[in-house]
Amino acid sequence: MSETDKSATRLADKYYVERCLDGHPDDFRYLVRRYQAALLANLAGKLGDRDRAEEAAQEALVRAYFNMAKLKKPDSFFSWLLGIGDRVAKEHERKEQIQRQREIVRSFAEEACGTELSQDYALESAIAGLPDAYRQIVLLRYYGGHSCTEIAGQLDMPLGTVTKMLSRAYAMLRETLQQQKQTQVYEVEK
Amino acid sequence: MNCTKCKELLVAYVEELLEEPGKQSVAEHLKDCPSCQSQVEELRGLHDRLVKNGKAWARGDLENNVMNQIVREQNVRLKATAGATEALKTRRTIMKSPMTRIAAAAALIVVAALGINYIMTPSVTWAQVIEPILNARTIVFDLILGTDETGLVMHEIVIGSRIRRTMSNMPNMTQIIDLDNAKLLGLDTEVKTAVYVDIKGDLGDRTRNYIKFVRQIISQLQEGQVQELGERVIDGQKAIGFTGRGQNEEVTIWADPRTALPIRVEAKIGQEFSFIMKNFEFNVAVDESLVSMDVPDGYTLQKTNIDLGNASEQDFIESMRIWAEIIGEGTFPQTIGTESTMKAMPTLVQKVAAMQVSEQKGTEICMSFAKGMLFHQILESQGQWKYAGTGVKLGDANTAIFWYQPKDSATYRVIYGDLSVKDVAPENLPK
Repeated sequence: MSETDKSATRLADKYYVERCLDGHPDDFRYLVRRYQAALLANLAGKLGDRDRAEEAAQEALVRAYFNMAKLKKPDSFFSWLLGIGDRVAKEHERKEQIQRQREIVRSFAEEACGTELSQDYALESAIAGLPDAYRQIVLLRYYGGHSCTEIAGQLDMPLGTVTKMLSRAYAMLRETLQQQKQTQVYEVEK
Repeated sequence: MNCTKCKELLVAYVEELLEEPGKQSVAEHLKDCPSCQSQVEELRGLHDRLVKNGKAWARGDLENNVMNQIVREQNVRLKATAGATEALKTRRTIMKSPMTRIAAAAALIVVAALGINYIMTPSVTWAQVIEPILNARTIVFDLILGTDETGLVMHEIVIGSRIRRTMSNMPNMTQIIDLDNAKLLGLDTEVKTAVYVDIKGDLGDRTRNYIKFVRQIISQLQEGQVQELGERVIDGQKAIGFTGRGQNEEVTIWADPRTALPIRVEAKIGQEFSFIMKNFEFNVAVDESLVSMDVPDGYTLQKTNIDLGNASEQDFIESMRIWAEIIGEGTFPQTIGTESTMKAMPTLVQKVAAMQVSEQKGTEICMSFAKGMLFHQILESQGQWKYAGTGVKLGDANTAIFWYQPKDSATYRVIYGDLSVKDVAPENLPK
């Protein structure tokens, strides 16, 4: 993959951001389309509920649109959007005065019901808890449909670094998921 | 290969990122190493779970909700704050140009096309009975131009004979239409200017017809005058479908089986014109001040003299010239029609602003463009036209770009790339 291809996604983000700033608000929908799943998954992990995640994701996207002029680096739209999503999630939690839902028992119970949409928020919750750089890679890879090479281009780092970070992310996810399981066992027993 | 080295490569292995030699040595090590084997299985489990969840989330659809909210919020924000918000001030938007109000008026014309035709075998008596009831209600809905959900969205609030309209491609423009007095109030919420436009004659009638069209859809559902399609889940709710076919249009309506109120309407009129209506709300409490025809406080009223009546073939030719010369930089467009016109409008406004002509001249150009397209809309409803100008260069005297058959005429009018026109017998039409 050539350098041009590698940075294609990044350039496309930049293009759409600039189009929006130039008075073509309709082009914002391409950015929505590209990142909605990753943003939603991240927020579901934080909030533990699909409806609340959708509400927060919508708010984050609308907020991003209206604050677009404040985005210093148009090519890092996604990490900026994730940051906005995090703030919205925090505000929602505060507003509703609900403790961050880490009710693993509940989400496992939902999983057991075999609903069509995987409601295994345990995984999303573990992803949401990763350090920023790792979280971004996992979200882009699995929820944004990017290949590792594309991610390397987008984040402007060598492919090897992406793979290494992904390995590290897997290790962290495994650890968190195991802890969750233990908590679950504990909660079921008590 | 030892275990430490192997474990480092396992994620890359699962992700299939390893080149052949590396891949092979990992595979070989795995054969004899139960510890690494169990780890790769665990990683694969996690990988599959990630992929599966990723796919599930990809099915979400926030797009239209987000876009609609942006349009609404933009209007609310601009109304609520005295000056434009900081973020918007810094935007280099085309909407700052003095052409905005012209674009607003022009967009109205384009939309009036929806009202041209609503044949759908109406039963006049029933319609007469039901109309006062329907008239008494408010209707709020979104209209999307095109056949999928990616088109321009118009948000419409109808209260009696007044309409408040916002459009996703011109988010700071609001239009309030008074059908009784055939007047339009265009508001540019960013530069705080207001303009009144007369919509007497054709244009007013057609806008009125457009609202009738919506109401007619409801009454026909109640009458059951359309072919039934059965039940399906539409936009997340149970719906019963009907299709109505007119001479030149096809309308599919999905309605709530309990209340008979439409949930979604998909329409195709003529060759090029399709739209979707959804997010209907009937009879909701709507603030009457939203459709006030008074110029809001803090707005400057602009004087205009816009004549949009009775578009002719000459107007159409002029709009084709504008399309090729200004928008297309010398080439005729891919397609013409209401949808393309709507999409081209902001570009035209922008290009005219860049030409640095006088405001008067700029107004004339935008109005001519819109007026000419009105002529085409009438042809659209009759279906007797053909566009062949895709990629043709302006000035090409040998290539026909458009032809149509005027009402009650035996011959066709054929327009060429140099914008000359000839009368041509049907058998001699371009192939």
